[in-house]
Amino acid sequence: MTNDVTHTADKTPAETPETTTGRRIYRPLTDIVETADGVTLTLEMPGVAAEDVDITLEKRVLTIRGKVHAMQPEKLQLAYAEYGEGDFERAFTMSDDFDPDKIGAQVSNGVLTLTLPRAADAQPKKITVTAS
Amino acid sequence: MSDKNTRQDLSLWSGNPFADFRKQMDDLMEGFFGSGGTLAARSGLPSLDMTGAVRPAIDIAENDGAITLTAELPGISEDQVDLTIRNGMLTLKGEKKIEHDGDRDDVHVIERSYGAFQRSFPIPERVDTDAIEAKFDKGVLTVTMPKRKTAPAGSRKIEIGKG
Repeated sequence: MTNDVTHTADKTPAETPETTTGRRIYRPLTDIVETADGVTLTLEMPGVAAEDVDITLEKRVLTIRGKVHAMQPEKLQLAYAEYGEGDFERAFTMSDDFDPDKIGAQVSNGVLTLTLPRAADAQPKKITVTAS
Repeated sequence: MSDKNTRQDLSLWSGNPFADFRKQMDDLMEGFFGSGGTLAARSGLPSLDMTGAVRPAIDIAENDGAITLTAELPGISEDQVDLTIRNGMLTLKGEKKIEHDGDRDDVHVIERSYGAFQRSFPIPERVDTDAIEAKFDKGVLTVTMPKRKTAPAGSRKIEIGKG
């Protein structure tokens, strides 16, 4: 354990840390899992409410932004910091076999779960062979 | 002579060369940075015995009325967190379980860490331990520790007599 007040090794800053608000932006830690119908992404965004998650899909680039509202009451002096409050941002480039209309997103306990089902025509088809 | 050779060979192949290397790196960094300078402490990597694979990051803030500790625990529900006060120490404990179905799902990327965690913090004297409150919201645990209005019981001024 270090006593460095600005130690935030557990969180990785996003590639574009310069912001107009001066807030920090972190890259959410993500698990990517292939399921039977597509791909599921789980992103760790502690402190982000469902209504503060912004997901955009543009030219196959899926961008996820999560805003954290500072919950520190007035006159609270930071004594020790390991994570530092900040927003989250990360972009993923998707292959084109996903159905953009069927992307599902859900936030629970600071984790965003994104389900990306593959398009029906990209699903493997089973061809039944009949005996002649 | 042949005995000596055999022993050398054994030492060469015994153990895990990567773990040995990590140990050497840890020793080196600890010598340089002091305790807390291990690779695990500085990089966020789990330590050799895998403790700290999940190490909730905390912030501590203070104002006139209270000390507030916040811990980031994404992916954990409040019933999976255990908070205890014992002997002046506040202990945060729990386990983060993996949600993926390892048999059926094909994992592409795993960046999040899973497993048991435990962290303890000394509670300052000026905190009224009976009034400590905790709440859990959106993956963040907030522990509010109100300060005592009066000096802690049992404290007294010691008169210094002339010798």
